[in-house]
This record gives sequence, C-alpha cells and structure tokens, in this order.
Amino acid sequence: MTRRAWVRAIPVNAAAWLIVLIVIFPLIWMILTSVKPQDELIRIPPTLLPQNVTFEHYQELLEDTPFLKYFWHSVVLSTSTTLLVLVVGVLGAYSLVRFSYRGREKLALLVLFTYLLPSAVLVLPLYLLMVKVGIANSIASLVIAYTTFALPYALWLLRSFMAGIPEDLESAALVDGASRLGAFIDVVLPQALPGIISTAVFTFIVAWNEYFYALVLVNTDAARPLTTGVFTMLVTSFNIEWSLLMAAAVMMSLPLIVIFVFLQGFLTRGFAASGVKG
Amino acid sequence: MTVVALAGRQRSPAISLQRQYGLLGVLLIAPTILIFCAVIVYPLVSAIYLSLFSIYTPTLQGHWVGLGNFQEMFSSGNFWVALRTNVIWTAGTLALQVIFGVGVALLLDQNIVFRSLARSLILFPYFVSTVVAVLVWRWMFNDVYGVLNHFLLAAHIVDMPIDWLGRMPNAMISVILIGAWKYFPFVVIAVLARLQTIPPQLYEAARIDGAGAWSRFWDVTLPQLRDVLLVVVLLRTIWDFKEFDLIYLLTGGGPLVATETLPLVVYKQAFGFNAMGMASAYSIGMLLVLLVFMYLYLSRIGRGEARA
Repeated sequence: MTRRAWVRAIPVNAAAWLIVLIVIFPLIWMILTSVKPQDELIRIPPTLLPQNVTFEHYQELLEDTPFLKYFWHSVVLSTSTTLLVLVVGVLGAYSLVRFSYRGREKLALLVLFTYLLPSAVLVLPLYLLMVKVGIANSIASLVIAYTTFALPYALWLLRSFMAGIPEDLESAALVDGASRLGAFIDVVLPQALPGIISTAVFTFIVAWNEYFYALVLVNTDAARPLTTGVFTMLVTSFNIEWSLLMAAAVMMSLPLIVIFVFLQGFLTRGFAASGVKG
Repeated sequence: MTVVALAGRQRSPAISLQRQYGLLGVLLIAPTILIFCAVIVYPLVSAIYLSLFSIYTPTLQGHWVGLGNFQEMFSSGNFWVALRTNVIWTAGTLALQVIFGVGVALLLDQNIVFRSLARSLILFPYFVSTVVAVLVWRWMFNDVYGVLNHFLLAAHIVDMPIDWLGRMPNAMISVILIGAWKYFPFVVIAVLARLQTIPPQLYEAARIDGAGAWSRFWDVTLPQLRDVLLVVVLLRTIWDFKEFDLIYLLTGGGPLVATETLPLVVYKQAFGFNAMGMASAYSIGMLLVLLVFMYLYLSRIGRGEARA
C-alpha cells in the first residue's frame, strides 16, 4: 500500500471496527455478566471485566433449575420441525421447479404470501384447532404451528437453490434409463445438498428462537421450550435473577454460536437465496 | 425438457409419459398443499369466522354478533390508537435500519482488516433469539446496576439515571432503537451483496469525470441500490409491522398502552380480556393493513420472476 492509502485506511478501519464492537457489545456484556460473582454484579460502579471469573451461575442453572429440561424440549422441537419441513419442502420445491402442471406459478407466489402472513392472525384458530384435536400443550402442537412459517420459507429457499441446478445431468440420467425418482435421488439431491443444509440451518434457528406460538400454545412445563421457559423460571414479579438469566442467555445461544463457527458459509448462502433479490 | 420427452418416446408413448410426469409432480407437491390447507388456509378462514362471534376464552363458548366486534373496534378508537403506535414503531425502526444498514454495508465493503470476521460478527444481533436480545438489553437498561446509565452518568451526559422503558417517549425510543439494532444486519447483507456486483468501471468513469466521493455515492452507488432497497424496505415493513416478541418482552405494550402495537392488542384481547372474537377482529383489521404491503412486495417479486 502507498503512504496515502495507509492514511486513508486507518480511519476507515477504526470506524468499521468501532461500529462492529458497539453492535456486539450487548453480547459481550452478556458473557461477561454471566461469569461475574453475585457481589460483583451489583457493584456500583460496575466492573467492566470480571475481577473473579466464576461459573457458579452455570452450575446453579444446570443443577437447581429446569433449564436442561427446557433445553431438551427446544432441541426436540427444533429438530423435528427442521426434519419435517425439509422432507416436505424438498419434494415440494422439486415439483415446483421441474414439473409443469396448471397453477404452478400461482402456487409459488402463494408460498411467498403465506410466508409473510402474521402469526397473530393464525395463532388463535391454531390454538382452537389444537384444543379440538386434543394435542394442545404438546411439543407436537408447536411443530405443527411452526410449519406455518418454516415450510413456506424452506420451500422458497429450496426452490431458488434447485432452480440453479442445471437440468442436463438429470436428463442424461433419464436417457440412461433411470426412473424420474431415481434421477432425483442420485443426481438432484447431491447437487442440492448445500442448499438443503442452508435451509436446515435457517429452519433450525428460527424454530429455536420462536417465542410467540410457544407463549400461546404451550402452558405446561412438560412441553415448554427455552424461549418461554427462561421467563417462567427466572422472572417473577418480585425478583429477576440477572446472573442466572445471563448464563441462561449464553447457554441458549450455544447452538447459534456453533452454527456461526462451523456453518457460516451456509448462513450467508441462505441469505442470498431468500426473497431479497427483486 | 425436450431431451426428457424424447428419451421417453423411445420407451412408451410420449403423451402418457407427460401425463405420468404431471401426476408425479402433483404427487410431490401434495404434502405441501395438505399442510398449507390445514395450518394456513383453514386458520385464515377460521379467523374471519371467529371475528363474527363473541367468545369467552377460558370456556371457548360464544355467540354470534355479526359485525359487532368490528363496529366496537373502530368506534372505540382503540384500533386507530394501536395502528398509530404501530406506524410510529414501524417507520421509526425501519428508517434507522435502512440508514444504518446502508452505512455499515458501505464501510464493510471497504478493504478493512479481518473483513470477513467483521461481516460475520455484525450478523449476530439478527440471528440471536429475541428473548436473549431482550434479556441483555433489559439488564443494560437496569436503573440501578445497568451499564448504560452508568456510562452516561460517568460521562456527565445525564445527571439522573434514565428510565429507559417505564415512561414516554423513552419507551418508544428504546424499542425503536433496539429494533434497529436487532434487524439492521438484514439490510447490511442485502446491500453488501448488491454492492459487490456494481461494475467498477462505473466508478472509474465517474472519477474521470471528476466526481468526488460524495457524488460517486449519490450518482453511482445509490441508483444501483434502488431495486434492492425497495425490496428490503417492503419486506422489513411487513416484518416490523407484525413484530410481537421484541415489543412484548421489552415493555409489554406499556407504559399503559403507549407501545402497544396491533399484534400486542390481539394477544391482550384474547388472553388478557378473554375476548377471543374481538381479538380475531383486531387480527383481521391488522391483516387488511398488511395486505397492501404484501401485495406491493408480491407484485414486485412476481415481475422479477417473469423476467428471469
């Protein structure tokens, strides 16, 4: 770099990294708070870095609260939603991309329409439906409710991924005598795999983070996921356990952190394929 | 497709194969359609139906009131108050998201050190659970031990701790700011992707014509971003308008009803006032407003699809 470029680069770098740090400061603060001992937490003025690092809040969270139970519910809930949505979505998207039948284009736009529907409209009838069918207050009821936003999104993503796969290979397999489904499994699926993983990652995150349906549809500890669970567990009208809450918040973000570290590329790819390009 | 059809003709009559393929296509989409009917079409129709009844939530018993719910909703003025709150929240947070999002995208498009790390870190607020985000912010907002008040007091910007969420207009401003913080990365990603496809020759040409940095942004970058920004604004309008979690968890709609947007009213009517019919009426009213933006977005996307 020339001298002039250096002089220009310094303020740009400083500004960019200052903004990045400010933006992620709440998350750094969350981690710092979760490892501070209780007496340091309520010190005025607050210490920026913990003077003594402790994991007692994590220990208390895991041993003395139903945190792990809620965590497990969230794992089951998000995994089932992801699997269901992927199976149905992959087949549906393949159909929307490669087959021609009447109403196909309209169907694709309808998928996008349903994706934009507010859950506040759907939640009350869904609540009544779950009561009627007799699966209210269960993880299954949440899986069903989550398909309302996860399936349209997955379909839309998978559709744009599959549209990018060249038809030639598939045609070649068909010429060689493969059946349509055989060609789908041997040729299309492997090529669509990155897109499928992207979709899975996205679906898992939105299901993991979902709060509104969980709030309305599940009112029992036997099925409560983490998002609503941490509140019933740690926030009462008299007392908010901040140290435990911050530890819970960190633990709750673990799957996300894992995805960020190992599957970052799939996340960005999913972004590019979602409904942003007009 | 022609190759496929030709290949088929060698084995069996083309027409029956075409029909067979059509059938297979329908078969593959069938589970999707069934699920959509059960969890989207039925609830949608049912929501309209429910809005014509007066239903007591705990027993789910109700009676027909026709358009009575809507009459009460509009004449009491509550709908308009909530709609006004909703518009203020949406417009405020969206404007900040776009301005901040474009700004940060331009910065991250520069040649900075550890650029890809910066780009992934900036995404974190968007993907982190709203529950986590709200917990952290409420802890930082804490009036006694909160770090924000401490900073402001130490810097002598204020001389009394600020009540961030308990009074107006602070509560609305706080909610708008946190909404902007949470969702601006969406704008960053969309804009960054577009920035990378702007041909460098355009900037070269502008430079030769003697355009400064500001006019290059104004005359080259911004026109190129117009399309993607339009789509982003429409999408984010829809999403911000129907936001529930963030506002409900931060303020619960308070103080009083000062930050109570339409989704929060729906929830309060159904489970606070036990008036499920009335809640449905509010949800339908909200959907009608949203349909305008959904139509604009879908026709935009539909046009893009036709072009492709």
